[in-house]
Amino acid sequence: MEEDIDTRKINNSFLRDHSYATEADIISTVEFNHTGELLATGDKGGRVVIFQREQESKNQLHRRGEYNVYSTFQSHEPEFDYLKSLEIEEKINKIRWLPQQNAAYFLLSTNDKTVKLWKVSERDKRPEGYNLKDEDGRLRDPATITTLRVPVLRPMDLMVEATPRRVFANAHTYHINSISVNSDYETYMSADDLRINLWNFEITNQSFNIVDIKPANMEELTEVITAAEFHPLHCNTFVYSSSKGTIRLCDMRASALCDRHTKFFEEPEDPSNRSFFSEIISSISDVKFSHSGRYIMTRDYLTVKVWDLNMENRPIETYQVHDYLRSKLCSLYENDCIFDKFECVWNGSDSVIMTGSYNNFFRMFDRNTKRDVTLEASRENSKPRAILKPRKVCVGGKRRKDEISVDSLDFSKKILHTAWHPSENIIAVAATNNLYIFQDKVN
Amino acid sequence: MEAQKEAQRIMTMSVWKMYHSRMQRGGLRLHRSLQLSLVMRSARELYLSAKVETDEAELSPFPAAALAPAPNLPQPMTVAEAEDASLQVSEEAIPAPEPMETQEARENEPAPACSCLPPVRNATLSQRSMKPNRKRRSSSLGQGGEAGLVPSKKARLEEETAPTEGKTEVEAEDLERRQSQVEEGPFPSLARVLQKRFSGILSNTAGPPKPTAPPPSCELQPGCRQADHMINILVRTVVAF
Repeated sequence: MEEDIDTRKINNSFLRDHSYATEADIISTVEFNHTGELLATGDKGGRVVIFQREQESKNQLHRRGEYNVYSTFQSHEPEFDYLKSLEIEEKINKIRWLPQQNAAYFLLSTNDKTVKLWKVSERDKRPEGYNLKDEDGRLRDPATITTLRVPVLRPMDLMVEATPRRVFANAHTYHINSISVNSDYETYMSADDLRINLWNFEITNQSFNIVDIKPANMEELTEVITAAEFHPLHCNTFVYSSSKGTIRLCDMRASALCDRHTKFFEEPEDPSNRSFFSEIISSISDVKFSHSGRYIMTRDYLTVKVWDLNMENRPIETYQVHDYLRSKLCSLYENDCIFDKFECVWNGSDSVIMTGSYNNFFRMFDRNTKRDVTLEASRENSKPRAILKPRKVCVGGKRRKDEISVDSLDFSKKILHTAWHPSENIIAVAATNNLYIFQDKVN
Repeated sequence: MEAQKEAQRIMTMSVWKMYHSRMQRGGLRLHRSLQLSLVMRSARELYLSAKVETDEAELSPFPAAALAPAPNLPQPMTVAEAEDASLQVSEEAIPAPEPMETQEARENEPAPACSCLPPVRNATLSQRSMKPNRKRRSSSLGQGGEAGLVPSKKARLEEETAPTEGKTEVEAEDLERRQSQVEEGPFPSLARVLQKRFSGILSNTAGPPKPTAPPPSCELQPGCRQADHMINILVRTVVAF
């Protein structure tokens, strides 16, 4: 990966050190749109920042499509649930783009309780020459109007405005962890810890509950839903993952309430790895369909697994992300890192998968060559047009010069959210409050 | 021994995390609470099984027949008597177990081999702890072995602790000061339970506080199971919010 662009949030542009960054600037989700032209990030402060790729121009051959800020808006505000005396965080949990159908862009953003549909549109023309009001907008005295004219559209400076078109609220008792747009582009689902609801984009006051795993007696609760996604091609199929490390595939044609799964993916536990924390680390934090729709990828605390939809009893591939942490689970429990929810992404051709780790490391696994690489997203190591150097964690014994030992890893620097351009080798990596965009080397 | 200490440390940590998670913005996270309760349960099981082994080793001169599990034995067992003679009984005693979960009760039926009996220590009953606000008496508690687990209703005595503001570090004494904060939460009585019951665990590094002499109407599990039930109650109540 060659060129990198480091983009800071506007608020803390004067801060030089990560430790002083405000918590509101911590990026909580990253998502490319369907063409890769736009990249949206959401943060803990409830803001959405959209970056747009520059059109490649003949003048700037080397600057092959940089991403610049296109629009910033406040998506969610902190709210208060008076009934439960609880504050509802404004943190954006997920952003999902709708495919573009006209000049405007549409995206869904969600916090713990409310999903919103935002329309992002450009305005570069302004009507001038009204009859009844002057250019400032003040009404003209009708007595002064002697002629009639037709207003004309004149160019103006480009303005990008974001307006909330729909607000889907009050449908979730528990905290929303996922949203997923259906391939029919008319419906989408939102999933919380115990329920999944199906929405129509046009209807905000109703949703259908399609999965409900809440037990009659809450004390019998053993698992929660951790992520859910629609199949990229089949509008009737979706999957959801659980905190027990299982994935269920459901077909909405089978029944209105998809409590009974069509397929159930679970790998038998390796008894040699049993520990206090086995149950926690087996919890799946992210599930993603491949672009082809043939595979699903799941991320748990230590591994990434690829499953074939046609084989339920075990994954077809398992990749160790940071197995050296297996002996450190107790410390990670102490500092709460064991609860971190890492995401995982496919590249456009489903040949490479990527996920984050600690110390601002992120890992890529090539499914064909079985090679993997560890890279670091940090200011020091990433000068513009510098090539990222592969990193290595030393597991024990003699540490080589460029290696970093497990005990030196900085667990406060974690990469939870990454995104891959749908067709090109451009990745976006969120490291706390910084966004790194890396591109493939261009000759 | 080491495993037991480790398990206890993890249990304590889990309790603290659970307590602390209620203070977070956005409220209690169901997934997090579930994970914490799972860890606590694993730690508890390890702690108790390690305890069983310790006690078995100590009571080895007695015939094996006496070690047979008998959940209906009325003798209370004191906890950690062999390991720690200097337990403080300043906190209130653990009452007879109030089963919130029949599954847990069933799990605990195979009593540890403490049936050969160190004398009952008459600890001072300073106060009863607050039970959580649940009137649940599970009707599925039909089996004879578990009938004894249903306690009779007891009078509640509350101790007034002076409310003091301010966040403090994890010290057992400081938990009492949080009463003013927790009373504002949605489950004030639960918070008080957490506070009072676990100040005992957090102040005693060696083991849970000793139980009192059992009320005659109650057929008690061995004392170590009382700590177990205490944790069960906490675990269950926190998860089911």
